[in-house]
Amino acid sequence: MGKQLFRYSEDNKAKFLESDNITFNDGSVVTPEEIWDYLTVEGPVKYPGTYEINLSQGNRDSRDETLPTSLKTHYLSLTFSARMEKAKKNGKTIAFIQGGQAVDPYTAADTIALRPFLVGQWYHGREHGNDIYKSVLRRKQSKETAFHDMSFEACQTGGYEHVQVGDLPIDVVAPYTVLRCSDVSYGVEAHRHGPNKDVKLINVDFPMRHQADKPWAIEYFARNLKKLVKTLDEARGKKTTEDDLWRAIRLHNEGRRLGTELADLWWSTDIPPTNSDDRNSLVALANLDMHGDVQASLSVLKEAKKIIAERVKNGVKGHAVTDNPKRLFILGSCVGINESRSEDAGAIVVGKDDQWSHCTSLVEEEGDPYYNLAKATLEYPYEQSIEKRAQWTIEQIRKSRADGVIFIHNWGCNTQAAVSRPIVDFIKRETGIPTYIHERDLHGLRDEQEQNRVNAFIEML
Amino acid sequence: MTISGNYFAGVDVGSLAAKSVILKDGEIFATGLVQSGVNSVESGLNALNLALETAGLKKEDLTYIVGTGYGRVSAPYANKAVTEITCHAKGTNYLHPTVRTIIDMGGQDCKAIRIDPDGAVVDFAMNDKCAAGTGRFLEVMAGVFKVKLEDLGSIALSATDTVPMSSTCTVFAESETISLVARGEKPENILNGIHHSIANRIAGLFSRVGIESDVFFSGGVAKNSGMKTAIEQALKVSIVKPEIDPQLIGALGAAVIARNFAKKEGLWV
Repeated sequence: MGKQLFRYSEDNKAKFLESDNITFNDGSVVTPEEIWDYLTVEGPVKYPGTYEINLSQGNRDSRDETLPTSLKTHYLSLTFSARMEKAKKNGKTIAFIQGGQAVDPYTAADTIALRPFLVGQWYHGREHGNDIYKSVLRRKQSKETAFHDMSFEACQTGGYEHVQVGDLPIDVVAPYTVLRCSDVSYGVEAHRHGPNKDVKLINVDFPMRHQADKPWAIEYFARNLKKLVKTLDEARGKKTTEDDLWRAIRLHNEGRRLGTELADLWWSTDIPPTNSDDRNSLVALANLDMHGDVQASLSVLKEAKKIIAERVKNGVKGHAVTDNPKRLFILGSCVGINESRSEDAGAIVVGKDDQWSHCTSLVEEEGDPYYNLAKATLEYPYEQSIEKRAQWTIEQIRKSRADGVIFIHNWGCNTQAAVSRPIVDFIKRETGIPTYIHERDLHGLRDEQEQNRVNAFIEML
Repeated sequence: MTISGNYFAGVDVGSLAAKSVILKDGEIFATGLVQSGVNSVESGLNALNLALETAGLKKEDLTYIVGTGYGRVSAPYANKAVTEITCHAKGTNYLHPTVRTIIDMGGQDCKAIRIDPDGAVVDFAMNDKCAAGTGRFLEVMAGVFKVKLEDLGSIALSATDTVPMSSTCTVFAESETISLVARGEKPENILNGIHHSIANRIAGLFSRVGIESDVFFSGGVAKNSGMKTAIEQALKVSIVKPEIDPQLIGALGAAVIARNFAKKEGLWV
C-alpha cells in the first residue's frame, strides 16, 4: 500500500505568490512561484518522507498553508543538500562546528558553518525517494557506524563519521570545544587520530567555566577566534579583515534581535499565533545558520516577524492549536518532542532553551570585534553554572508563561544528563512549575515510550 | 437476560498482559485478563471480550470505552485513549481514596506517582531506558533459577540473608546472579537480594517525587509478595492492601475515566 502524502492546496497558492522572495548569500533570488513549484512538484518526488502523513513521526495531514514562512522554511530544508553541493562546487569553504555556538566569525570568513545535525541533513538529503521509515533507518545506520568507529558513549557523532570516511567535502573541523556537548570531544579526538588527514582540525578553545568576568579569559578566547579565522582564511585562500568581522557581527546581531523580537511577539498574546512546529522553525532562524545560508535565513525571518505581528494584532490562532493549550517549555540540547502529537493531546511548545541563549546574547558593536565576540560567547547563559543557567531559564519560562517544563537528554549527551536534575530541581523550587526529565535514544524508534511520558505529563498539567 | 443501566469499560494493553474492567452503576461488574500477544488490537479486544462474556454483555451495551497502556494508540474499539499514569491514579483513588502515593510496576516500566485527594496526578517519575526494575527483569531472573515467575516472591521471603545485587542493568544483574550461584550462594538469598535491588531502584524514583501516605502498589508485579515486602523496607512505609487484583488498577482507572467522559459528553446523566 502506498504512503499517504500531504499536498499543498492550490487554494492558498495565489496568496502565497504575493509573499516575499528569498535572497541568498550569493545574491541569487528565488521567487514564491519557484518555491511553490518546488514544494508541489519536485519536493514530493525527491523527499516523499517529509510529506508523509505519519503521526508517529509528527507529520500532520494538514499544515499551516496560510503562513508563507512555514512553506519557505520547508523549502530551505528540502533544498539544503542540493544547495550545499552547489556551494561547494562554487568554491565555498565549509566548516564542521558544534551545536550551541554562534557563527559570526565563520560568516566573516565567507564560510558555511554546519552543526552535526546539518551535516547529517546534507548527507541524507543526497538520497531521494525515501519514506520516513527509510530515512530513520539511514540516520540510525550513520549513528551505529559512528558508534563502531568512535564511541558508543556519545550521542551525535554521525557528522564526524561522515567527515572521517569522506562522505562529504568538508574543508575544516572547527568547533568551539568547551560548549555544552560531550560528544564533540569524542568527535575531535576521533578526527585527530582518524584516517582523513585532508580535513584540517582546529579547536577553538576557551577557559573552563567560561569566566566572562575575567579579562584574561576573554582575551584568551579572542586569540583563539583569531586563530580560527586564520585557519578559515588558509582554507579559502583569502584574508578576512576586521571590517568583514564587524559586518558579520552586525548581520548576526540583526538576526538575534529579530529572533528575540519574534519570540516576544509570540509570547505577548494568550492566543498562540502559530503551532509549535512553526514557532520553533521560525525562532530557530535567529542564529542564521539553520539552512546553511545566513541571508536566506534573514530574509525569511524578516518576513516572519511582520506576519507574526499581524497575526498577534488580529488575534489569529495558529493552525491546529487547541483552545487553551497547556504551555510546555522544552530544555536540553538537540532535543524536542513530537509537536503535532503533543498538540493533539492538548499542549503547545512555547519555548526551548536549545540554540536560544546565544540568540539572546548580542555582541557589542564598538571596540575590538574579536574581544566583543569572545565576551558574548563566554556569557551565553546556557553554558554557565547550573544556578546561573537555571535562573536565565526561569526568566524565559516566565516570559513564555509555560505551565510545565520537560528536560530531555539524549543517550550519550553526558553534559546535559549530568545537569538535568539540578536544573529542573532549581526551576521547580523557584517557580513551582511541574517538571519532567526524560532520557532518549537519538534517532531511535522510541516514539511510543516517549510520547506516553509526554502525554502523561500533559494530562497531569 | 435483559441488559439495563450504563456500562463503562477500561482496557489496559500492557507489554505482558491485557486487562479490562467493566463498571456498572459505579461498581466493578466484570473483569478480563489475558496475556498480550504481538497484535495489541487483538490483545485488547480479547481482554474486553472476556469481561463482556463474564458480564453477559455485548460491546454495543457499553456506553463508553477508554483505552490505556502501550496498546492504547492501537485501540480502534475505544472512544478515547488516556495514559496509564492517569489511569492508575484514578483507579487507585476509586478504590482507596486515602492513597497519595502509587508504585506501579508493569512488564516494561516502573512508575512513582503522587496523586491528590481527587486522584489527579501531582507528579510522577518513570524508569528511562533499562528493563531493570520491571516485570521483565523478574522474568529474566525466574528464567535463571528455572522457577515460576509467581513463585519468586515467596522464595525470596524464605531467605535467611540478603545478597547485595546490582540494580543498574538487567544484563549486569543476570551475569552477577550466575556468578553468585557458581559461588554457592543460596538461591533464596540471591532472589531476596534481587528484590531489594529493584526496591532500591524504585526508592530512587521517589527521591524525585516524594512520598506521602497512604501508599499503594499496583501493576502485575504487585502480586509478588517478596517485592511488596522489599519495597516496604526500602521506602519505610506500609503498603495498603489491594481490594482487587492490583494488575487491574489501570483498566479500572480507564473505566472510571470512561464514565467521566460519558458524563462530560452528555452520554450519561
